Amino acid sequence: DDPILIKFAHVVAENTPKGLMAERFKELVAEKTGGDVVVQVFPNSQLFGDDKVLEAMLLGDVQLAAPTLSKFGRYTEVLELYDLPFLFEDLDAVERFQQSPLGQEMLHSVEGKGLIGLGYLHNGMKQLSASKPLRTPEDAAGLTFRIMSSEVLEAQFEALDAAPIKKSFSEVFMLLQTNAVDGQENTWSNIYSKKFYEVQPYITESNHGLLDYMVVTSAEFWNGLPDETREQVAEALDEALAYGNQIARDKAIEDKRKIAESGRTEIIELSDAERAQWVEAMKPVWQQFEGQIGRERIEAAYSANRP
Amino acid sequence: MTTATLFALLFGCLLIGMPIALALGFSSIVTVLLFSNDSLASIALKLFESLSAHYTLLAIPFFILSSQFLSTGGVAKRLIRFAVAVVGHIKGGLAMASVLACMLFAAVSGSSPATVAAVGTIVITGMVRSGYPKSFAAGVTTNAGTLGILIPPSIVMLVYAAATEVSAARMFMAGFIPGLMMGGLLMLAIYIVARIKGLPSQPWSGLREVASAALSASGGILLVVIVLGSIYGGVASPTEAAAVSAVYAFLVAVIGYRDIGPLKGVPWRRAGEDALATLVRDAWQVTLALPKCIADPEVRKVVLDASRVSIMLLFIIANAMLFAHVLTTERIPHQIAETIVGWGLPPWMFLVVVNVLLLAAGNFMEPSAILLIMAPILFPIATQLGIDPIHLGIIMVVNMEIGMLTPPVGLNLFVTAGITGEGMGWVIRAVLPWMLLLLLFLILITYIPQISLFLPEYLDSLRGYR
Amino acid sequence: MLLRLLDRVEEAIISLLLVAMTLLVVWEVILRFGFGSGLDWGHEATLYLSAWFVLFGVSYGLKVGAHIGVDAFLRLLPPLGQRLLTGLAVLLSLGYCGLFIYGSWVYLAKMEMIGIELQDIPVQRWLADSILLVGLVFLSIRLLSLLWQVATGRARGFRRSDEAQEGLHLAEGLKRDDSVP
Ligand code: NA
Ligand code: NA
Repeated sequence: DDPILIKFAHVVAENTPKGLMAERFKELVAEKTGGDVVVQVFPNSQLFGDDKVLEAMLLGDVQLAAPTLSKFGRYTEVLELYDLPFLFEDLDAVERFQQSPLGQEMLHSVEGKGLIGLGYLHNGMKQLSASKPLRTPEDAAGLTFRIMSSEVLEAQFEALDAAPIKKSFSEVFMLLQTNAVDGQENTWSNIYSKKFYEVQPYITESNHGLLDYMVVTSAEFWNGLPDETREQVAEALDEALAYGNQIARDKAIEDKRKIAESGRTEIIELSDAERAQWVEAMKPVWQQFEGQIGRERIEAAYSANRP
Repeated sequence: MTTATLFALLFGCLLIGMPIALALGFSSIVTVLLFSNDSLASIALKLFESLSAHYTLLAIPFFILSSQFLSTGGVAKRLIRFAVAVVGHIKGGLAMASVLACMLFAAVSGSSPATVAAVGTIVITGMVRSGYPKSFAAGVTTNAGTLGILIPPSIVMLVYAAATEVSAARMFMAGFIPGLMMGGLLMLAIYIVARIKGLPSQPWSGLREVASAALSASGGILLVVIVLGSIYGGVASPTEAAAVSAVYAFLVAVIGYRDIGPLKGVPWRRAGEDALATLVRDAWQVTLALPKCIADPEVRKVVLDASRVSIMLLFIIANAMLFAHVLTTERIPHQIAETIVGWGLPPWMFLVVVNVLLLAAGNFMEPSAILLIMAPILFPIATQLGIDPIHLGIIMVVNMEIGMLTPPVGLNLFVTAGITGEGMGWVIRAVLPWMLLLLLFLILITYIPQISLFLPEYLDSLRGYR
Repeated sequence: MLLRLLDRVEEAIISLLLVAMTLLVVWEVILRFGFGSGLDWGHEATLYLSAWFVLFGVSYGLKVGAHIGVDAFLRLLPPLGQRLLTGLAVLLSLGYCGLFIYGSWVYLAKMEMIGIELQDIPVQRWLADSILLVGLVFLSIRLLSLLWQVATGRARGFRRSDEAQEGLHLAEGLKRDDSVP
């Protein structure tokens, strides 16, 4: 009979970690299920944008997507944890927490709305870029920063006395190029691929936040799969995610190097003292969201920094 | 089979006179119903997404509103007077001025239909008034309006840069010289046609008239300065600049020139009135005029006219996106790419194929949709063949320009039909001769990569990169 | 009388939506440039206003004959042929509406059941998206009215001749205005 079809819709190019992960997943599923399940990958928002893809999934027309964790705000407040500034020191800490029972449990936080998280995928740690050098938190005061729609990120820049401006990702380059906004936060790989470094003279290597994705499916589809098939697909996804995460790590290093070599922007490294000032300025945000995220989750995530 | 049905349905619906938006949407949804497992619900969701997730497209209604105020509110009249004073004495001068105006607005709008809407409403009127055939005026302006996406900033270039990860800044730079060149080419052609056909020229009216016309038109000319200035001076994105220009145009028409609205016929200064009395009276009247506009029939008509054109255009775009969505879910573009790779073409032949493919796609789809689908497919093949990504991008943009002019889905045609009140057949005939020039230009762009690459490479070398 | 009032209300709502959208964007520019701050709901509100503007206005567009089609073939036919084909086109358009009304009904019902809100505005998504259904129902009503006009011989196409006159007519402006050289 007909194979089961998985439409995997994402919003980035095929040569990004997410795009490569999706292609690898497609191959692995074909391999493991012997063709019983067929994956079709639709990159570049060809099917739906990040905002509507989850709704299409609930309607049963998209089976797999991997939106940014910040996009789940209307489905659960718990995942706002991952937007908290200076919670994780590096991707190792992030992985320790995500693989922990608590981190895995958070994948199920969207189940009340009919979705199931299947795993995490890295983009990387976020850096700050701006039209002027940012060394201490005071440097950011009074500036405008583009953010994606997230209450935590809004609070984070408000804590710096800066103004967060919500704009869609596709507009960021234009806004930066024309100085309509002063700065933005993003990972090395996004700053490189979207050429933000060409229009932002300064990048502060702050590693202040995390940009990760959650691979998600609809509960109806997932629970409707035959047990054996579900296990095979889950296995394929885990392998593909490990592959994608390694690419993301390599790409962050590679893209940072390319940005530095371009000579178009100055990369500012923070001293320990300067970094401590940023942490102090942004950390009050944790308390602000403690109620909706859960104190024990924040503490567990923070303690993942010390294995 | 699916493809055949989709296109047969579209053509059938268009033939029996169904509105283009509904024809696109109907053929899409019926094809989904017949051949795909997708639910009607997700198609409805897609339509809603197409209408509610594209901030950049909002520049279109804003520029239309702005140009409605400018054209109704006497600004057009003054701009034309200025243009006539400056270049009217050349044979075909006013047509050249219209091309120049399109180039200027192109430097503001980032969108081709918005450029036609903003400039066309003003200059087509003026040219007809000065004795040009209406089809000549419409043809020149509709073609020149396509410069909106070639002269930076350009929404289409941003889409290309996003889809292929080339530098948007370099794309912008690369569009500059081709944009000037195409404008120049159009003007040259106008001059030749004007000589042959004996198109009108006005007597030289003297520098005094030029200065006085400039002063009188400064309210309109300042708009270009404000919009350009706010984009390059870092106040606003193109969508925002468009909204600002709409408010500005309202103020110029209603408060400044007072050709429409509650202050119509009320002079800034009455004869014999002393300065203080004038100031107090004006302040009072202007303050009162703003709320009065809500009830003013002329102001309301301008807003309603702009609404009508905007709704029509945005509804077509949304349905065109739906159409592209169906093409994508049926993986039609992918099949095309696999076929092309299978042919093993040399670069020059590949570029011929690219152009034919894009021109064909341009008949049916909206440029951003075409780029989002085709660029990721063509880009890797081009890179393998050693074609510069920036060059490929400019080729694609010029193709998209032509796509704006070809039926059945040609946004510029729709705008011109809207602003001239003529039928599609009339507009297509008016546009065709000038579009041939654009095709010639496409050949130049395709086989002389330096036209596109010179400026970005030169600027890079100035800054010491590479 | 009541119909005239309803027409006025419809026009007022459409104009209001366009004006609100424009002013909101301008207000954001002023806030950012003048005061270095933003509206956290501004972006989403603008986008939703534009969706409401278009979907609410689509049926109005049909009423005033604003929707452009290709009429070249139709014009070659005798009046009866034109009416027959237009009748078919209207029926197909009603099919479009029917399919989308059904689709949006299912979609909205699902959203209502799950109960998610907009990203930045505390409004239920199904409520904010309901204009899809409403707009298409209005469009269907106007299509039915057009069908009746075609059947009774008062219209032959989507762009009715009497209404088309009212469009952005440049020629009329020219006759009125003789102040320019
Ligand atoms: Na432009
Ligand atoms: Na076209």
